[in-house]
Amino acid sequence: MSLLTDYLSDPACVRAWQPREWNRFLPLLRESRLMTRALCLAEAADLIDAVPARIVDQMIGARAQTRYVQVQAMRELGHVLRALQHDGIRVAALKGIAYRVADLPLAQWRGLSDIDLLIDRADLARAEALLLRSGWVVNGEFDDYDQRYYREWMHEVPPLRHAARETEVDLHHNLSPPVSRVRIDATALWREVVDVDGPGGLPVGVLSDCDMLLHNAVHLFMNDELRGGLRDVMDFRDLYMHFGALDAGFERRLLDRAETLQCGLPLYYAVDTAQRLVALAPGKVMVDGLSRHRPSPFPRLAMRWLIDHALAPDRTALRTTALANWLLFVRSHWIRMPKGMLLRHLLRKTMKRRAPVSTIQETPG
Amino acid sequence: MSRTTNLILDAGPFRVGVTSSIPSLGDAIAYFYRDVVSTDPDVVLDYNIGLHRPPGLRAMVRPQVVFGVDGQYPFDPQPLENAFPVFEWGLNWCIATSAHRYMMLHAGTIAFGDHAMILPGTPGSGKSTLSAALHLSGARLLSDEFGLVRPETADLLPLPRGIPLKNASIEAILEFDPAAPLGPTYPKTRKGRVRHLRPAAESLRQQHAPARPRWLVFPKYRAGAEEVLAPMPKVEAFRQLAFNCFNYTLLGETAFQAVDRIVDAVDCYTFTFSRLESAVTVLQALAAGKQLAIAAGRDV
Repeated sequence: MSLLTDYLSDPACVRAWQPREWNRFLPLLRESRLMTRALCLAEAADLIDAVPARIVDQMIGARAQTRYVQVQAMRELGHVLRALQHDGIRVAALKGIAYRVADLPLAQWRGLSDIDLLIDRADLARAEALLLRSGWVVNGEFDDYDQRYYREWMHEVPPLRHAARETEVDLHHNLSPPVSRVRIDATALWREVVDVDGPGGLPVGVLSDCDMLLHNAVHLFMNDELRGGLRDVMDFRDLYMHFGALDAGFERRLLDRAETLQCGLPLYYAVDTAQRLVALAPGKVMVDGLSRHRPSPFPRLAMRWLIDHALAPDRTALRTTALANWLLFVRSHWIRMPKGMLLRHLLRKTMKRRAPVSTIQETPG
Repeated sequence: MSRTTNLILDAGPFRVGVTSSIPSLGDAIAYFYRDVVSTDPDVVLDYNIGLHRPPGLRAMVRPQVVFGVDGQYPFDPQPLENAFPVFEWGLNWCIATSAHRYMMLHAGTIAFGDHAMILPGTPGSGKSTLSAALHLSGARLLSDEFGLVRPETADLLPLPRGIPLKNASIEAILEFDPAAPLGPTYPKTRKGRVRHLRPAAESLRQQHAPARPRWLVFPKYRAGAEEVLAPMPKVEAFRQLAFNCFNYTLLGETAFQAVDRIVDAVDCYTFTFSRLESAVTVLQALAAGKQLAIAAGRDV
């Protein structure tokens, strides 16, 4: 697929690499935010000697940065928890910050650029108001349309940022938009939330093991922020392998939970993608269980093409990557919104600013 | 008529691929870095940089250059005539945002033999001009504004590059040494008028030889002032050196330990100056005196 997926699937492949391969690999690694992950893989496989010293140095630099943003995020989470604690608002950490507070192996390499939190919908307005009163501000400019877009159609409120600090805070009331075709019952999530010790000893919730994976799967399935998508696929693989090693019945539980939350299709795509791109090896239970969620050949193969081109591009494939990204962008909205709403939204966004496809640029000149 | 540049630049610990179709950039790189460029395509790179003219009609009216690294374009296009300053600035940006394997001091660093003098300072303190003058007087140039420290050893790694002299500094250096090898004048950059001083061939040749921190001097240019070199308490030196470290908070304890090792190993001074000639004399004397003291110490 690409040098990057080759490496993530089997790091020992670097033994055969020449400078030409390394020079194609490093930019892919940087862009996908997997530098620190790659270093940990090389260390775990005892391959550091097979990696050119200057590449190891670049990875060590990335690890320093990863650790720093984690410290920042933990501090920010502490501030948020203190701001909310007296009003009895429950907070659950999601994604990167959750892996850190739950002290999962992923915390050794997973960077993060914002902290994602789950708040009960009944508490959401109060939580937002409390933070806005305690020094947080809305991060960015949102006109009335954007505000309405977030509040009515999305599963989160406009992002917040403390006036004096950098870290963005995203408050979600669900894992997917309320208008989307994958609808998750948030109260079912809350029933399985586990409390752990957060920063400063303040309690903070994290999703159950199965729900962490399903969140990741739903996110991938509805992905419209594609540039770092492979990082999320690696998170899925790493979580899957970690929880699978702890509990022989994990795959069965995950399948059952996907049924309960009606996330069979996202789980199918997540497992299929991780299997093909980063060598996830699901057990027979999972393979058999997923067969009933498998889409018919056309959407399945089209989706494979899109995912592979968007998530695992080699340098030579920029043009098809741009097309795949754009199609996935449209698709992610297609799933999220009823058709009339989608048309209005895309029309408005197209008129307001250039299409997101332009973030991928061809070499000029 | 277009000439294409396609070369590999060894910049201290970093190896940089450069591709460009802009003749002025190729000329400038040839002038400043002739001895440290190669064309071997078969080496591992830290950064792959391209400078190109953006396509489009606008480019015909007002020619521009766009800086790309590893397929990303982090900055807005700049005027074409500034291609070389844009390259230098962009490479610094690449290093500053990714090379956290090193502690990065915002400091001019020069060496007498293997003993380094660190000249930290905010813009306007005169550290670039002072580093340039000391270099022209025979000191080895490590870097005019990037003190790269390997945290495990607290050694300084050279990163010798063209020293960007700004505005009045250009004349000050030409007055100090009329034969100073300066590149073309860039009249309008974001930092004003800029001309770069070419590093001496010997400093480029030794760019992989680290130096041990020996003196820490905080320069302060003040118009009309007498040159005064005053000892500085180490506690204060620690605080100010940490303040002048780009990635101090990012590296956390690693940076704390490295700053501590440096401050422990050096003599610390503040240095007020206005005349380059006597400023260089004072710092050379400091270097010579201390070198003798070290030699004497070793003999005992």
